[in-house]
Amino acid sequence: MKKSRQMKQCDIKVALAGNPNCGKTTLFNALTGATAHVGNWTGVTVEKLQGTYKDKKSDLTIDIVDLPGIYSLSPYSPEEVVSRDYILSQDADVILNIIDATNLQRNLYLTTQILEIGLPVVVALNMADCLRANGERIDVKALSQKLGVPVVAISALKQKGLKELMQVVKEQKGVKREAVSFISSGILKESIDEVMLLLGDSNTNHKLFDSVKLVEGDKLTLEKYQSIATQIKEIKDKNQEVKDKYKGNYETCVADQRYQHINDNFSDVITADKEKPAVSKSDKADKVLTHKFWGIPIFLLIIFAIFHLTFSENLFYLSAVIPDGAFKDAGPVASLFVDTEYDEEEESGANSIKSPGVFLQGLVEELAELVNGERVVEDGFDDNGEPAQVVEEEGGWIPQLLKNAPDWANGVICDGVLAGVFGVLSFIPQIMLLFLFLTILEDTGYMARVAFIMDRAFRRIGLSGKSFMPLLMCFGCAVPGIMATRTIENDRERRSTILLAPFFSCGAKSPIWYAFAAVLATTVGWNSELTVFGMYIIGIVVAMIASLILKKISGQKGVTPFIMELPTYHTPQFKSVTIHIWQKLKHFVFRAGTVIAASTIIIWYLLNFNFKFQMVGEEECILATVGGWLEWLFKPLGFGDWKYIVATVTGLVAKEEVVSSIEVLAGSVEAFVSKSGVTTAGVVSFMAFNLLTVPCMAAVGAASGELGSPKRTALAILFWILTSYFVSMMIYLVGTYWWTVFIFALVIAIIIVGAHFINKKRFAKDDMPNAKEIK
Amino acid sequence: MQLLASPIGKKVKIADVTTDEKTKNRLQNIGVIVGSDITVLQSNFGDIIVKVRDCRVAMNKDVAKHILVEAVNEEVTTDEAM
Repeated sequence: MKKSRQMKQCDIKVALAGNPNCGKTTLFNALTGATAHVGNWTGVTVEKLQGTYKDKKSDLTIDIVDLPGIYSLSPYSPEEVVSRDYILSQDADVILNIIDATNLQRNLYLTTQILEIGLPVVVALNMADCLRANGERIDVKALSQKLGVPVVAISALKQKGLKELMQVVKEQKGVKREAVSFISSGILKESIDEVMLLLGDSNTNHKLFDSVKLVEGDKLTLEKYQSIATQIKEIKDKNQEVKDKYKGNYETCVADQRYQHINDNFSDVITADKEKPAVSKSDKADKVLTHKFWGIPIFLLIIFAIFHLTFSENLFYLSAVIPDGAFKDAGPVASLFVDTEYDEEEESGANSIKSPGVFLQGLVEELAELVNGERVVEDGFDDNGEPAQVVEEEGGWIPQLLKNAPDWANGVICDGVLAGVFGVLSFIPQIMLLFLFLTILEDTGYMARVAFIMDRAFRRIGLSGKSFMPLLMCFGCAVPGIMATRTIENDRERRSTILLAPFFSCGAKSPIWYAFAAVLATTVGWNSELTVFGMYIIGIVVAMIASLILKKISGQKGVTPFIMELPTYHTPQFKSVTIHIWQKLKHFVFRAGTVIAASTIIIWYLLNFNFKFQMVGEEECILATVGGWLEWLFKPLGFGDWKYIVATVTGLVAKEEVVSSIEVLAGSVEAFVSKSGVTTAGVVSFMAFNLLTVPCMAAVGAASGELGSPKRTALAILFWILTSYFVSMMIYLVGTYWWTVFIFALVIAIIIVGAHFINKKRFAKDDMPNAKEIK
Repeated sequence: MQLLASPIGKKVKIADVTTDEKTKNRLQNIGVIVGSDITVLQSNFGDIIVKVRDCRVAMNKDVAKHILVEAVNEEVTTDEAM
C-alpha cells in the first residue's frame, strides 16, 4: 500500500461471472465507470471487458475482468469456454459471482459449479431490494452459511453496497478455500470419489472440478484425460442407481442433482410475506408486446419512430398542419431546427420541423462550413462557355489561413483531409442517435422479445429469431452486428447471418443514400425520404432472397431450436446507455481522425498526381488511369465511369469514404452526378452496388474472425461481389429496358430450382456411402 | 400430455424432455428440467413463453412439442416420470 504513485499497480484482480441478465454489466459499469476498455479474448472474437475499481479513501484498486454471461461451466458456446478457461487459469485472485435474487435458484446453478473450483469466491447478491418490494425477504446470512462463501447484498442499479462488496473482495484475496461440491453426497458420491482417487496426484489444480466434469461427461475435460478414459467409463458403468434412475445419462443426472440440492436447501432462504402474484407486471407487458397479432406491428411502429426521429426532415409530418412559408424569415439560428427554404414559385416549403438527428447533423455541417468553407453549386458556364453547374468556394477559417500557401498544401488540407473528415463527422450524430435508441431498446429487455416474435418469420427464410438482433445492429454498424452472431448456436445460420450482414444498410452507408437522394430529388423529383427508405428495403429484400438461396444450397432441413431467456422489463439505465454510446463514439471519431484522414490524403495524392509524380489535372491522374482500365467491367451496371469506380473502391476502407471521396473528386455530389452523365438508373444501380458489395475492411475483418477460415472468408467476399454485381445489373437494365425484368425473373428461378436439384443429387449421394469408390 | 396442450396460466410439472442432447443441455442450463414446475404464459401459434423458477423463457414450437408435462397436484414419483 505504500507504493509510490508511479509504481501503483492493481492490488487485486477479480473475475466477474454470472448469468446473462443478472445485472452483471450494470455492476461492472458501476464499479469501473469510464475506465472500462473493450478488447477481444485471444483467438476468439468474444468481447473482453476490463476496468478498474478505485477507492481513494482506502487506496484500493481492483482490476475487474467482465466474463461473458453464462448459465453453466459445461461449455457449449464459445462464451462459456472463454469464461471457464479464464476462471480455471487462476489469473484472477477472486471470483466475484453475481446472482439475481429474484431468480435465485437458476442463478445458484452456476454458483454450485463455481464453488467446485478451489478459488476464493465472493457472491454479490443483486436486486435483493426488488425482492423486498415484492414482499419477500432473503436471509443473506443463511445463504452465506449454506454456500460457505461471503455473500454481500448489493443493488447494482442504485449503486448500493458496492463499497462493502469490494472490501469483502479485498479480504478474500489469498484466502485458501476448499473446493466443495454439493452433488458429491448423493447417488454420484462413489463415482466422483473414485474418479478423484483415479486422478490421484495428477497434474491438476482443480481436482474436484475435473472429477465432477469427468463424471458428467464434459468433452473438454475428457480430452484432457484421454489416457484414463476407459477407467472413468468403468467407474461410471458401475453406478447402478444412475442407470436405473437416469437411464445412465450422466449429464441429466448431474443437472438434476444440482437443481435438487438447490431446491432442497435454498428454498427457505427466501421467505414471502404474501403470495406472489402469478402474473407480474412484466408478464402483463408481454401479453401486449409479444401478442401473436399485435407484436410485429407494434415493433414495426417502434422502429419506424426511431428512424423518423433520427433521419426525418419533417418531424411528425407537422408540415401538414403548419402553413407554407411559416418559417421563411426565421433566421440562420432557427434554420438549424426548422426548414427555412421557401419555394417562391410553388409557394411551398419552409413549414417543417427537423428531427433531432437532422438537427444534430446540421450542427456539424455548420461547423464544417465555418472551418473549411462552403462549396456552392451554381448555374454558370464551363470552360467552353457552355451552361453548366460550377462549384464555388466561399469562406472558411482554414482556407483563409492558407490563402498564401502553395496550391498543393491548400489542396491537401482543404480538399483532402478536411473535406474527408468532415464528411465522416457530419453523419456521426445520426449513427449515435440510432445506436442510442437501439441500446435503450436492448437495455429495457425488449430486444429479446423481438427475437421471439420475429422467429416465426425468420424461420421461413432459413434463419432463426436469434439472427434478428445481430442483423438489426447492422443498421448501426456491421462490426458489432457480425460479432453478435456469436449467440446463434447453429453454425449454418450463423454463417448465413454473417453473409447477410452487409445488406442491412449501416450508418456509415447512410450518407451515400442522403447525398444521392438529394440529387435525385432535384434531377427527377423523387421524394428523398422515400429514396432512402427504398435503399433499406432493397437491402432487406436482397437479404431475404439470398437467405433462401443459401438455405437451399446448404440443403439443411428442419429448423434449429429456439430457446431464449426473457429478462424482466426495466427502465433503461442512463449510465450503461451512455457508456455504451461513448465507446462507440470514441471508435468512430478515432477512425475519422486516423484511417479516414490518412486515406483521404492518399486519395487526394492519387487524384492529383500521375505515375511520374507530377501534379496534373484529375483527367490524367493515377486514379483516372487505373479506374479507366476497369470501366468496361461496370458498363453493364450503368456507371462505367472511373470516378464512380474510385468512390466504390475507397468505400472498402470505410463506407464513409464513398461520399468524402466524391467530395474530393468533384466538390459536391450534385456536381459529381451532373458532370458524369450517368443516368438515373445508373445512379440507383451505383447506390445498390455500394449497399450490397464487400463491406468495409473492419467488417470484413470481423467476418473473417467469425467465419474462422480464409477459405470461407474468400467465399464470403465472392458472394458479396456476385450479389452486388447481379442486383445492380438487374436494377440498371430493368430501369433502362423494363422488359429485361422477365429475363431476371427467369434467372432467379433457375438459380433456386437449380440449387434445389443439386441438393437432391448431393443428398442422394450421401445416402450411398460408397458413391466415391464407385467413381 | 404435451406442454403445448397445457392451458395458459396453469402450473404443470415437466415429466420428460425428449429433445436431442444439445437442446436438452441448453434447457437444463436455463432451468427447464424434469420435475420443475412450468407455466405457459403466452402462446403464439405454438411458439411459447413459459415461466420456470421465476424465469421467463421463450421457445419455439419445435422445442415446446418435445416437453411433456403432467398435472402438478398428482403425486408421481420420479421413476414413473422418467
